[in-house]
Amino acid sequence: MSWKMWSLKKSVWVFHVNTGACNNCDIEIVNCLTPKFDIERLGMKLVGSPRHADALLVTGGVTAQAAPRLQEVYRQTPKPCVVFAIGACACDKGIFTTGYHMVGPVDKIIREVDPNAIIAYVPGCPPKPEAIISGAVQALAAI
Amino acid sequence: MNQEELNNKLKEIENKLTGVERPLDDRIFLSCEAENAYKVNKFLFEDVPLRFVIATGIDSDDCFEIIYHYAYDETGCVVNLKAFIRDRENPSIESIAPFLLAAEWIEREMHDLLGIDFKNHPRLERLILADDWPDGVYPMRKEVKK
Repeated sequence: MSWKMWSLKKSVWVFHVNTGACNNCDIEIVNCLTPKFDIERLGMKLVGSPRHADALLVTGGVTAQAAPRLQEVYRQTPKPCVVFAIGACACDKGIFTTGYHMVGPVDKIIREVDPNAIIAYVPGCPPKPEAIISGAVQALAAI
Repeated sequence: MNQEELNNKLKEIENKLTGVERPLDDRIFLSCEAENAYKVNKFLFEDVPLRFVIATGIDSDDCFEIIYHYAYDETGCVVNLKAFIRDRENPSIESIAPFLLAAEWIEREMHDLLGIDFKNHPRLERLILADDWPDGVYPMRKEVKK
């Protein structure tokens, strides 16, 4: 394992990106930070800038307005980084599949910038905090 | 003011309405044509007075409907005013934003999604569609394909 990967997995700092979610997945992400689940004990922490982040938590099927912004946030994140598609919409647009403003699920938009991006999917509407933590563990174990 | 007084108050604008429905004791549906909507709204908001909740725009095949939702909190009565816009080619209606500031954004949203022109609106600009959305395409109209 390279030194970069080792340091990535040691303590993952995450940046939360909402690209048109209904706010339900976002509430579950906030729930992960509450004392009951407390992901900070695992070294995971929400940060205020993508430049400080090791992982992006993306919620919502990507709207036309949000797509270039998501790509810009991904460009600013130091590599290697993991992109978590949180929720049914981020994984595959969910109930907004036929929406006039939807341009694609998160993986399609990210792969336009970086075809080799590491993307983890956490389905659910919304996913439980346990599922988000489990997804993070599995993704970090796999890389 | 109790429910009965509210009913009597609403009788004052009956000549501008095309229909009154009362499915429940605390639910009143009023309908009017687009030309009278401004005066009826002004009456409901300023003279009764009711609390403005939200407005809804609907594309209903032969016309556009705008439903103004009002609440009367003393008795819990909900009053809905349906305004019919018959002209499908150039739908337009008088804006209620000049006297009811809370309606400004919802009118801009209806302008974005249905292409209804709100006359005398203080700032009728794009609100919720993407910046590169083409002009003249209104996604909530029935002729727009999914």
